[in-house]
Amino acid sequence: MSNTLVSSPPASPRVALFVTCLVDAMRPSVGFAALKLLQDAGCRVEVPMQQTCCGQPAFNSGDTKDTAVLARRFIEQFEPYDYVVAPSGSCAGMTRAHYPEALADDPRWAERARKLGARTFELMSFLVDVMHYKPAGVKFPATATYHDSCSGLRELGVFDQPRALLGQVGGLTMKPLEGNDVCCGFGGTFCVKYPAISNAVVSEKAAAIERTGAQVLLGGDMGCLMNMAGKLHRNGSPVLVYHAAEVLAGMADAPSISARSSDKG
Amino acid sequence: MTARDDILGRVRAALGRRSIDPASVASAAATLLADLPSTRPRLLASSLAEAFIARVTSPKVAATAERIESTAALPEAVARYLRARDLPKAIALQPLALLRSLDWSGFAVRDRVASDEVAAIGMARWGIAETGSLVFHSGADTAVLANFLPLHHIVLLRKADLLAYLEDYATLVAGQPMPRNVNLISGASGTTDIEGSLVLGAHGPRYMHVVLVDA
Amino acid sequence: MQTSVISFKARADAALADPTLKLAIDRTTGTAERKRAAALVDFPQFEAARERGKRIKDHVIEHLDHYLLEFERNAIASGAKVHWATSADEASRIVVDLCRQAKAKRVTRVKSMLGEEIGLPHALDAAGFERFETDLAEHIVQLAGDRPSHIVWPSMHRTREQVSVMFKKAHRVPHKDETIEAMVDSARRELRDKFLSADVSISGANFLIADTGATCTVTNEGNAELTTSPPRMHIVTAGIEKLVPSLPHAFALLRLLVRSATGADVTQYTTFHCGPKKPVDLDGPEEFHIVLVDNGRTKMLADAGLRDMLRCLRCGACMNHCVVFKQLGGHAYGGVYPGPMGAVLTPVFDGLKESRELSHACTLNGKCQEVCPVDIPLPTLMRGWRDRSWREGLEPSSMRFGMGIFTFVASRPWIYRLGATVAVRMMRLFGRGGWIRGMPGLGPWTAHRDFPVPSGRTFMARYANGEGRQK
Repeated sequence: MSNTLVSSPPASPRVALFVTCLVDAMRPSVGFAALKLLQDAGCRVEVPMQQTCCGQPAFNSGDTKDTAVLARRFIEQFEPYDYVVAPSGSCAGMTRAHYPEALADDPRWAERARKLGARTFELMSFLVDVMHYKPAGVKFPATATYHDSCSGLRELGVFDQPRALLGQVGGLTMKPLEGNDVCCGFGGTFCVKYPAISNAVVSEKAAAIERTGAQVLLGGDMGCLMNMAGKLHRNGSPVLVYHAAEVLAGMADAPSISARSSDKG
Repeated sequence: MTARDDILGRVRAALGRRSIDPASVASAAATLLADLPSTRPRLLASSLAEAFIARVTSPKVAATAERIESTAALPEAVARYLRARDLPKAIALQPLALLRSLDWSGFAVRDRVASDEVAAIGMARWGIAETGSLVFHSGADTAVLANFLPLHHIVLLRKADLLAYLEDYATLVAGQPMPRNVNLISGASGTTDIEGSLVLGAHGPRYMHVVLVDA
Repeated sequence: MQTSVISFKARADAALADPTLKLAIDRTTGTAERKRAAALVDFPQFEAARERGKRIKDHVIEHLDHYLLEFERNAIASGAKVHWATSADEASRIVVDLCRQAKAKRVTRVKSMLGEEIGLPHALDAAGFERFETDLAEHIVQLAGDRPSHIVWPSMHRTREQVSVMFKKAHRVPHKDETIEAMVDSARRELRDKFLSADVSISGANFLIADTGATCTVTNEGNAELTTSPPRMHIVTAGIEKLVPSLPHAFALLRLLVRSATGADVTQYTTFHCGPKKPVDLDGPEEFHIVLVDNGRTKMLADAGLRDMLRCLRCGACMNHCVVFKQLGGHAYGGVYPGPMGAVLTPVFDGLKESRELSHACTLNGKCQEVCPVDIPLPTLMRGWRDRSWREGLEPSSMRFGMGIFTFVASRPWIYRLGATVAVRMMRLFGRGGWIRGMPGLGPWTAHRDFPVPSGRTFMARYANGEGRQK
């Protein structure tokens, strides 16, 4: 599925930020970075206060019934907006690519899911494909490498957009990651259900990251970033890990996901 | 109920059958082959002969090739091939009138391919430029085993029998009864079964040499 | 061949602890990935060809009864005998009976995954025939006494060093050099006379051509032809999904199959068999038998959540690119087919209860579908098995309970906020220097990785407090 390029960006659209569980609990700075970027891009951003989880853990566990419960809640909350944006390819992919599947038993809901899905985007692809946004005056002098999270890449076609955005950041040199499109081994519940296999996969990913010689690892999905950061830190690697949104919003002066010093927050 | 009835019954139930109109099925099948050039690779050269030679001698197809002007030059080409590899002038010859009628004086000629045959000479019915393939039909003048037993397989192919694509062969033989075996042979035998590493000369011939004659 | 819930984890652990296996896997899958990528560079029409291939397969599936009957009619007209088998047992019984009818002592086999599926090697051995596998990889598997671990490279799990030891022990005139070339030469010598002295040969089919009744094999070594011409009887076993309408349709799929499997554009030998030896033929079998096998395929056809799997060309690309397969190799999957396609097929053959782990041991990253030459939605099919498993009550009760709690909480924002705040506070208690090395509930994570300490207050709490508002 690819985002259709709009010919000119919409004027002042009403955008709902879907924060996502991991950003909400683990790293709110990503959410605030997303807010800032969307605001700078000319959007009127709101955060629907009743939002919780998109239901992906239930969906991937085969619990379609519970997924449908959460899907209906989500649709009701986010339908009123022009666009729904999430700083996560996996969560945006869940709602856009899989809600119709989860609601297949009820054609009316499935249709509402499809309609909302067409307006639901991962953050960076929204900024580029819909808002034609270019960050200005942002600096992050460092060498970095980029991991393409699987859902964003394959379900939503997120590939060029992060690179286009990061290309505007002053002082930032990107180094290609060998196997940038190879799964990091997170896979949601996979990493805790099959920890040994997940570890084998993320070990290879960590080795590839270290081979780039980059100082920083960037990506678009918290689950993947936490997984890779956790492995890098256990390995004693000095590589810093940030969500790309933090760098783009000029908020990467906060300690990184793999910082050694304790975090104030 | 026989297994046949069981299986067909299940298939029909699964498809929600309905009566089939063979003509419309055939028409749908034909439509699936529309605009073949859009799903085929480009040939390596503009002339069929150059494209075929380029493909058959490429690393992707493990074969050697040469061109001769007339079929009468074949025995000399074979003699050169054997001499260059220090092999005796002993060959098995496919029982094709055209091949048998050539001047093989100086050669020890066998008419059947032994299981430890060193060199066998054959003639392909067609060549396909897309893949560098030689086409053989089993029949009175073509034993299937003759193409697989020898170590060195030297094959005569006429330029006039070159085809561009795999489908061109299919079009030529459409509607005719099939021989027992059709062999499309693209280079020498090989295997990647040990660690994915390519080795030439598994059970079939280890060396394939194509002699393209400008006839 | 049964899989079992307990043994998947045990097998996976054993595989992960085996560095020799990992070496073998990396050598083979690494080469396969590189070669496929290189082949696609030379074939920019690949995506369009893939679309055509998908439509051809879907068309055949939607008219399977029509094509089965057309194939049978034409095969019989060519002089072949056609048999039908609903189950694996029935199929291998038909083959054994035919071998008995032919008064066979020695039987040669050409590699066929369908043959594995129906348990043919074991059935032939049990019936007392002398069986020779003629593909190099299957020969290695036979010598090792184990099972195929990959559908294209069955002996992928063996390093060259291991093969060398086996050949030196078993071959009459083994290799002297420790090169792969010398080992292949040794196998060529060893198997030569077997081809020519067999009574019955058994092979599979990559395609069944409906409008001529011909079967097609796509191979590299030459053993398929050397095996199937000399004996007086040749038996082909094939799944009913192998049908294609005609030769050009087979060629369209051939372009996808070989590039996806090995990165070559075409295999050395594309051979079509049509009927037994004709009076004019110089060689060939007196009898040619084709066994059409169902074994769960009609079940897949009837199930909208599985039908797409019938498109499978058995190329192996999915497993070559699967991060899980590349860590485990094929044996860990426990069934006939490994990797992503095996995770979808094994529950059909062995039952979901025995094999539910396979579809769960997957990150759903989608690379398999991306490289599938006929665009089978493998992640969707795998999730479909998870859904079935849930509805059939096969999932652990702790999981059901946990998911129920999570849904309850996630449906009530105020409880969810409270829960998130509590969880964050708890995690901060276990953190040292920004990281958690161990914490109850996080065991599977922290066994191998550190867990980053949450920042502090949740986003929603901070936003509710006025942070981040639009200026």
